[in-house]
Amino acid sequence: MSILECKDLCKNYGRVPALDQVSFTVEPGRIVGLLGPNGSGKTTLIKLANGLLTPSSGEILVCGMAPGKESHACVSYLPERTAIPTWMSARQLLDFYEDFYADFRRDAAEEMLAHLNIQAGQRIKQMSKGTREKVQLIMVMSRAAKLYLLDEPIGGVDPATRDYILSTIIGNYNPEAAVVISTHLISDVEKVLDEVIFINQGRMVLQSSVDQIREEKGMSVDELFREVFRC
Amino acid sequence: MLRKLMKHEFRATGRIMLPLYLILIVTSFGANLTTRGLLSTEYRILDVLGVLLVMAFAIAIVAVCVMSMVVMVQRFYKNLLQDEGYVMMTLPVSVHQQIWSKLIVSAVWFAATVLMIILACCIVAFNVEFVDEFFHFIGDIFRGIMREDAYFIANGTAFAVEGIVLCFLGSCAMCLQFYAALAVGHSSANHKMVWSVGMFFLFQFVIQFLGSMLVILADGTGLDVFLTNFLPQFNGVAAMHAVLIFCIVLTVIYGAIFYAVTTFFLKKRLNLE
Amino acid sequence: MKWLFSNDAPIYTQLIQQIKVGIVSGAFPPGERLPSVRDLATEAGVNPNTMQRALMELERDGLVYTQRTAGRFVTEDKNMIEQAKRSLAERHLKTFLTAMLRLGFQREEIIDLLRQESGEEGMTHVDSGV
Repeated sequence: MSILECKDLCKNYGRVPALDQVSFTVEPGRIVGLLGPNGSGKTTLIKLANGLLTPSSGEILVCGMAPGKESHACVSYLPERTAIPTWMSARQLLDFYEDFYADFRRDAAEEMLAHLNIQAGQRIKQMSKGTREKVQLIMVMSRAAKLYLLDEPIGGVDPATRDYILSTIIGNYNPEAAVVISTHLISDVEKVLDEVIFINQGRMVLQSSVDQIREEKGMSVDELFREVFRC
Repeated sequence: MLRKLMKHEFRATGRIMLPLYLILIVTSFGANLTTRGLLSTEYRILDVLGVLLVMAFAIAIVAVCVMSMVVMVQRFYKNLLQDEGYVMMTLPVSVHQQIWSKLIVSAVWFAATVLMIILACCIVAFNVEFVDEFFHFIGDIFRGIMREDAYFIANGTAFAVEGIVLCFLGSCAMCLQFYAALAVGHSSANHKMVWSVGMFFLFQFVIQFLGSMLVILADGTGLDVFLTNFLPQFNGVAAMHAVLIFCIVLTVIYGAIFYAVTTFFLKKRLNLE
Repeated sequence: MKWLFSNDAPIYTQLIQQIKVGIVSGAFPPGERLPSVRDLATEAGVNPNTMQRALMELERDGLVYTQRTAGRFVTEDKNMIEQAKRSLAERHLKTFLTAMLRLGFQREEIIDLLRQESGEEGMTHVDSGV
C-alpha cells in the first residue's frame, strides 16, 4: 500500500488555484523531495496531507485514509514555522508528545536533546530560534511514524545544523516508512533523496528518481531544477 | 484523549489562573484588616493603608474576572488558530475533543473564579458575628423546609438552582459564541482578527434580534391567555419556573448552534497562516 | 574516510568508486567487516537505498560479500583487490592523459614531466575522485 497518494488533487484559494490536478504516490522506504520555487504549492500540499486544509476536489490519502484523527496518528509533521507551545519546558514537551503519540520514543528524544546540550528544564521561550527549531525537529524525528512530512526542514538554519538534520533523517531511516521533504535548497538534500517531485505553479512537472535524472540527463537534480525553472 | 487534552489545558491555564487566585486571597486578607477597624483608628496612615488594601482587593476581583475571560478566548485563539495550531490540529484527536476540552476547562475556571470570589468576600467579612449569622441562615432554611412555609423555601431554592444552571450554561454558550466568531473570522485569508471581532458582533446582533422577535411573538399569540385560562394551577411561581426553564433550553440551543459552527469551520474551513 | 560527490554522475556509481578506493587504500582492509548500510549512509550523507544499491553492485563484482547473519565483509582475495587497484589507476591515467593531450603535450613530453616531478618530490597528492 502506498503511504501517500494524491489523485487529481486540486486546491483553490478563492479563485486562485494553488494546486491543480496533482497525482502521485509515495511508497514505503522512500525519501522523496518535494521541490519547487517559493509559492509553487509545496506547503499547500503538505497541509492537505495533514488535514489542515480541505481539498477543493480530488483526493489525498495518507496510509490509505483521508486525513483526520486516525491518519494523524501515523504522520509526523514538521511545519515550516516553529509551532511547539513556547511556554512549556523541553521536559513538558516530551510529556506532551508521549501522551498523544503511542509511537513516541522518549528515550531517543532525550538522547538527541542531550547530544545537542539542550537542558530538559529550559523553557522553549528562553531558547534561541535555532534551538527551538532543533527541539521541534527532535520531537518529529523521535516518533516511529509511517510518514514524515518535513516542510522546509533546512531553510533558515546554519550549515552545521543542516548536516545534523540530514544525518538525523538518514539515521532514522526505516524501510516501512516514507519521508517527504519539501525544500528549495536542492543541492543540500539531493544526496539524501531517492526520488524528486518537481512542482511549479500548483502543477506537477516531474516525478523521477535522483539517479535516473543523473544518468539520463548527465546533470544533478539541482542543475536540472535550475534549467526547468529558469526565470 | 479528551482527558489528556484537558490535562494539558489545565497545565497551560493553571499557570495563569492559580497565581491570580493566590493574589486574590492574599488581598482579601489585607482587606479583612480594614474591616477589622483600620479605618476607625486615629492614625491617618492606617486610614490610607486601609483604603489601599480595599482597593487592591477590588482590583484583584476585577483582574480575576477579566483574566478568566481573556484566558478562555486567548487559549482558543493562540492554541488552535495561531502557530500552535500546527501542532494541536495535527494531534490524533477529533475537533470535537479539542472544543470540549477547551470548553470544559474554561467552564471549570469560571466556576472556580466565582467560588474564589465568594471565598475571598467571606474572608474580608470574616468575624465571629458574620459566621454566626451565616450558620443561623443555613439553619433557618432547613427549619423552614421542615415547617409549612416549605413551599416558598423550596421554590426559592429551585429558583436559585435554575438561576445558577442558567448562568453556568449561559457562560458556556458565551464561550462557544467567542469560539465560533474566532473560527469563522480566522477562516478568511487576511484581517483574521478584524473578521473575528466583526463576526462576534454580528452573532450578538442576530441573537438580540431573534430574542426581541421572540418576545414580540410571545406577546401577540395569546400564549399567556391560553396558559392562565386552561391551566388553573398556572400561577406566578409556575410561570417563573417555566420562563427559567425555557431560558435554559434556549441557551442550550444557542450554545449548540455555535458549537456546530465552530466544528464546521475548524474541520472544513481551517486556514492557518 | 572523506566522501565527495560530483554533479555529473549518478550517486551510486560515485559511491562504488569511493568504496573501491577505500578497499584498495586499506581504509577497509581485506576480510574486514563493513559498517552497516545505515552507518555508511549516515557517514557519507547519502540515501540508505542508494548506499544499498552501491554495495549490491560491489557484491556482484565480488569485492564484498555477505554473510547471512554477520553482515558485509571486504573480500580476502588479494588478486581481486589488486585488479580493482589497477582498473582505478587506469581510469585516473586516462583522465590525466586526456587532459594533458588537450593542453598540447606529446606522450614523450608527458613522460619526461612525470619523471622530473617524481624525481623532485615523489608523487604527492592523488585525488580520490573519478
